[in-house]
Amino acid sequence: MSATATLPRTASVAVPPLYEARNITKRYGNFHALRDMNFHIGASEVVGLLGDNGAGKSTLIKMMSGIVRPDAGEILIDGVPTRIENRSASERAGIETIYQDIALVDPMSITRNIFMGREITNRWGFLRHAEMERRAIEVLGSTVHISGIDDPEKEVGFLSGGQKQAVAIARAVYFKRRILLLDEPTSALSVRETEHLLDYVSRLRSENVSSVLVTHNIYHAFMVCDRFVVMSHGAKVFEAAKRDTTMEEVTDHVIRT
Amino acid sequence: MAAHNITADSIAAARGGGSLAGRFRHYVRTRPEGGIVVLFVLVQMVCIVAGLLVPAQFRYLIPANIRVTLQSVTPLGIMSLGVGMLMIAGEYDLSVGAIYSFASVFAATTTNLYFGGATNPIAPFLGMVAGIAVGVLAGIINALVTIKLRIPSFIATLGAMLLWNGGVLLYNGSAAVSFQPGSPFVNLFSGQIGVIDAGFLWFIGLAVAAYFLLHHHKLGNHFYAVGGNPGAAVAIGIRPFRVKMAAFAITGGLAAFAGMIAMTRVSSVQPGGGQGMELQSIAACVIGGYSLTGGRGSILGAVLGTGLVFTIQDILLLLRAPGFYFDMFVGALIVLAVVMNTAIRRKG
Repeated sequence: MSATATLPRTASVAVPPLYEARNITKRYGNFHALRDMNFHIGASEVVGLLGDNGAGKSTLIKMMSGIVRPDAGEILIDGVPTRIENRSASERAGIETIYQDIALVDPMSITRNIFMGREITNRWGFLRHAEMERRAIEVLGSTVHISGIDDPEKEVGFLSGGQKQAVAIARAVYFKRRILLLDEPTSALSVRETEHLLDYVSRLRSENVSSVLVTHNIYHAFMVCDRFVVMSHGAKVFEAAKRDTTMEEVTDHVIRT
Repeated sequence: MAAHNITADSIAAARGGGSLAGRFRHYVRTRPEGGIVVLFVLVQMVCIVAGLLVPAQFRYLIPANIRVTLQSVTPLGIMSLGVGMLMIAGEYDLSVGAIYSFASVFAATTTNLYFGGATNPIAPFLGMVAGIAVGVLAGIINALVTIKLRIPSFIATLGAMLLWNGGVLLYNGSAAVSFQPGSPFVNLFSGQIGVIDAGFLWFIGLAVAAYFLLHHHKLGNHFYAVGGNPGAAVAIGIRPFRVKMAAFAITGGLAAFAGMIAMTRVSSVQPGGGQGMELQSIAACVIGGYSLTGGRGSILGAVLGTGLVFTIQDILLLLRAPGFYFDMFVGALIVLAVVMNTAIRRKG
């Protein structure tokens, strides 16, 4: 497939989306991880990103987070063309990510993991431990209810998979910006923990934080998402608002393609 | 769900409750240096008791013994501070012993040849700055080769070790270099205050500085992050290149400084003086609870690890054991310390 972009569509709405990717292509050698992919996230919207393994969902998420650079295509933040080629650029654009392969450091404490790379320091760069611990307790206690986390000084390596995911979510929640990307966030969670997380995503929407939920579980997607995008072989094969489609139709597209 | 929330009570309970014994158990189980603190205190207690009971046979507490032990801890201790920080950042430096030699020979010769030698009191200070600059530069080269060429630091710094070991012979030949700085310099880096040597005070001062850098500064936090899980560090926006570059540079600078402290004490420097110290410093860190895979360790661990190695050496010297016993005991100590730390962590 050609890497050259087609003519950009003119936005049909007055307000441009928070995030828009146009005609994105990403190749690894001969393998097309993304081909001519178009994707956007509106204000106060939860988008379900679906598709089988290897469909390109994770690559798309990584590109939005600035970890992966597209080979071709254009990214617009609030309608303004922007280059997002590293993590700090995506942070500036208000994007926060929870990864599938939980991005935590096992030998570090929960507090240090939450504030890793964004430490609260004094003007000489020395850490303000008490302040960070206070906020960690706050976010762990109020937003993500995960049993068994009793001490923010605990090393993450001693936590269960669900607890680790909770810490990752707490981190994303604490640094919530405008767009939250969740890459298979529920794979390590119990039923109750999953429910809490999905509730939380809905609550964030009412606080004007949009989310992209990558999942295999179409039930979960239908619980919170406003719009569904189904991918296959690096391209978008189906897109519909929740009110215009059914679970059967979405499932059909995920399975068939 | 209230029962699951974090409260002051749950935190206190998780940290061992109100009792001193509980808090101590929590400390030993969770801190990397927990095991070595216990072992170090036990060994010191046994030595002090033995020194008090049989002072004539076991002269552990006489001032001369304390002075010499503190002096001998200093160079390896200073080196281990850097080597340990680099291990936490997930890299090794096998060239520290060679940097130790090369930088001190460089400092001595520049002092003698270019800065006016013994007649100029400023000369040794300039020489020392030059030597530390060489050490930092060598560290930066290690970082560039390791990270930019994407090869394991074990290999990159093994090459650097051979390069600097050869380089010092090329530059200077195999003869020892005399280093006779004026008294301000000697007093500052090797003066005696009672049984305590000025070099040892530098070691303690650097250890405190390293403690604040590693445990209480953003950069130290990033050492743990890039060493503990490089992928996570990148994903969160930490740049491993910069962080590791800083760790390599600090390690090189400390190795050079360690060499110059030792050189000042004996007023000369041997071109091969640092050989073997690269593995000794890694051993001291491992004994002190550092992980070989990065992300775990503490300054107190490096200090006590080095301290324990030299306490063992001192005990063997006092007991008039032949020199080869030292290597055997340190070998056993390394394995014992790792077994102990692993067991403690499994229990925790």
